Amino acid sequence: MTHLFGVLSTGTSALLTQQRAINVTGNNIANVNTPGYSRQRIVLETATPVGTAAGLMSFGVVSRGIERFYDRFLGVQIQAEASRSGRWEAEQAALERTEAQLDENGGWGIAAALSGFFGSWQDLVLRPGGEVERTVAVAAAERLAETVRSRYAELERMRRDLDRDLESAVEQVNRLALQVSELNGRIARAELGGDTANDYRDRREQVLKELAGLIDIQTSEAADGQVSVSTSGGRPLVESGNTWTLRVAPGDDGHARIFWPDLDGALADITASVGGGRLGGLLAVRDGRLVAYQERIDEIARGLLTEANAVHAAGFGLEGTTGTDLFAGSGAADLRLNPEVAENPGRLAASATAAGVPGNADNALRMLSLRETPILRGGTATFEEAAQGLVSLVGFDVQQARAQAEHTSDMLGFLENHRESVSGVSLDEEMVNLIRYQAAYQAAAKLVSLADEMLDSLMTMVR
Amino acid sequence: MRITQNMMARMFTGVLRRQTLAMIGQQERIATQKRINRPSDDPAGAGRVLSGRGVLAGIEKYASGIQQGKSRLEFNEETLKLIGDLVRQARRTAEEKSAGGVSAAERALAATTVREIADQVLQLANARFNGEYVFGGDRRDVAPFVRDDEGNVTYRGESGAFFIPLPGGARVAVDADGRNYFQNEAAGGVNLFDELRDLIGGLENPDLEEGTAQIQATLDPLERAEVQLRNKRAEAAPQAYRLQTTEEHLTRWRAAVEAAIGRDEDADVAQAIVELKNLEVAYESTLAAASRILQPSLVDFLR
Repeated sequence: MTHLFGVLSTGTSALLTQQRAINVTGNNIANVNTPGYSRQRIVLETATPVGTAAGLMSFGVVSRGIERFYDRFLGVQIQAEASRSGRWEAEQAALERTEAQLDENGGWGIAAALSGFFGSWQDLVLRPGGEVERTVAVAAAERLAETVRSRYAELERMRRDLDRDLESAVEQVNRLALQVSELNGRIARAELGGDTANDYRDRREQVLKELAGLIDIQTSEAADGQVSVSTSGGRPLVESGNTWTLRVAPGDDGHARIFWPDLDGALADITASVGGGRLGGLLAVRDGRLVAYQERIDEIARGLLTEANAVHAAGFGLEGTTGTDLFAGSGAADLRLNPEVAENPGRLAASATAAGVPGNADNALRMLSLRETPILRGGTATFEEAAQGLVSLVGFDVQQARAQAEHTSDMLGFLENHRESVSGVSLDEEMVNLIRYQAAYQAAAKLVSLADEMLDSLMTMVR
Repeated sequence: MRITQNMMARMFTGVLRRQTLAMIGQQERIATQKRINRPSDDPAGAGRVLSGRGVLAGIEKYASGIQQGKSRLEFNEETLKLIGDLVRQARRTAEEKSAGGVSAAERALAATTVREIADQVLQLANARFNGEYVFGGDRRDVAPFVRDDEGNVTYRGESGAFFIPLPGGARVAVDADGRNYFQNEAAGGVNLFDELRDLIGGLENPDLEEGTAQIQATLDPLERAEVQLRNKRAEAAPQAYRLQTTEEHLTRWRAAVEAAIGRDEDADVAQAIVELKNLEVAYESTLAAASRILQPSLVDFLR
């Protein structure tokens, strides 16, 4: 077999294979910035050796396929970290918006309104019958009720906004789950023949990472290359080619809840078990933090309704009215000044006795002493301290969310760097490869032309 | 470990993002001169600042209440001093006119003077401060003392006091019950109005002998009335002192709270500027490094 045509065929196989290698390198260079792309390499092997007079010998090179550089374990870690990062980023963004809404720096918060309210009673102590003092006190109480109500309503509006965010996030989850199932099919089909579907796998990896950023998922790959995805509570989202479409519907309190359909089409509420990803973050803020803030404001409102009303009802207005509540409503959502008082500031009960009207200020003093009495938070905080505590609480939560978001995104960055180090395209490397393959290609061409010249010489010899 | 262009690019963008974020933070601190611009900048500090502001608002209210209280005490003092002078004048008249050998005409003249005095006393006892009757107790809206045709004065007011709230739930109560100043026979006091009425009666008595006795009967009570007024004036002294010391305390307290708020809230601008400068240097050198490192690759050297 050591004939001249052997040289020619060796040259041909080299030419073709090096060209293929250049193709692969080119593809790597082209995808240098493609997210999730794993660099590929042609696997070269000497052609099957043949027995010759000189012994076993191989004629040329063959490519045994194209492999991709990929660390499977890293992929799973990245998914988990993307879940955490997505959760804290969503939480941070939502809490920062809340923080801006509850800001007391401008002097328009609940704490400032409370201090204005008690201050107006301080003036009433000095002049319990004064028309101006009474008008001011009514305005201050009205402002307090209004501030409490509007802060509470703003938090409620915030929760509604999060409902909408939740809906769009669930839509994305469904879209991505569908993509995973489609890619599953393609990968299974492509790999049936023994190839590896490198590019589909990269795409699926990318989609899974995106999905993990939205909701906490567990993935497992079957022997046929298909990935099944399940979410919180082990409920499947994707199994080979099938997907489960999550639904969003309003719950009892009017806020959006997430439902998972089982095989019979019955809907299971999985809202409480979603813990990670953007959805987890949105839910943690909507059903955890914001509800806690609302509860704090509600506690202030209820404190006013019981304590301030009790003091006020015990006193007497200018016209001898008594038993009048200062505030009306049932909580922060509908706290307002008692309309009877709002209409007629004379009904403000500054006097402790009917005979003491208008100069007696004992009841005003009693109202004033509420300012210093720890009534709220289980008898540990005054009204103003409770309002200040809320601001500090929001601040702490934002700080924590920010730190966690920073930390998880650092972790994610670290893992992705690791992945990049394994799978990323290095242009320098590719350039070197390009030169290598080019040189090999040139040499192979030389080989072919050499064989040609040799054939030529042979022919001339014969002629 | 393999290093790729993307890793470097990502590293640089991450670092640059963090540096610009830090610079924006410092710039905000310099622009607002505040270290805490939102609660999350320092949650505990923000809580303290807020509570400090609440305390300050309270201090302002207490201070303005004390101002009003002091004016009220001064007003009381002035009024009572005037009444005291009038009472002394009436007693001197009584002393002079009770002696023997005073003619009916002289006594009649003196009676007009005392009548004048009684009118003035009544007017002062019905004094108003800030539109409110001072000696009517809790009834601040009607004149507390009224005189009928016989010259009998009755009290229409109530018991009660003028309260000046002080920090910590304390208060100064200025007695506003007019009876304690001008009447209050029940507690062994002197009814000033009755004595003046009797004095006038004595001076106008056509029976000079009987008149003399009547006039002399008022001498001692009038003196006691004067003492009664002086005692009430003396009550005000410790109250004024207490208001004064509380006011001084409030001034010091205000300064302390303001300083505490400042410590929590105010940015150290000089330090912030130095830090900004440092960040700028870091930012610029990162950019310079990025332009040197990111730019070239092997491609540039293959021709």
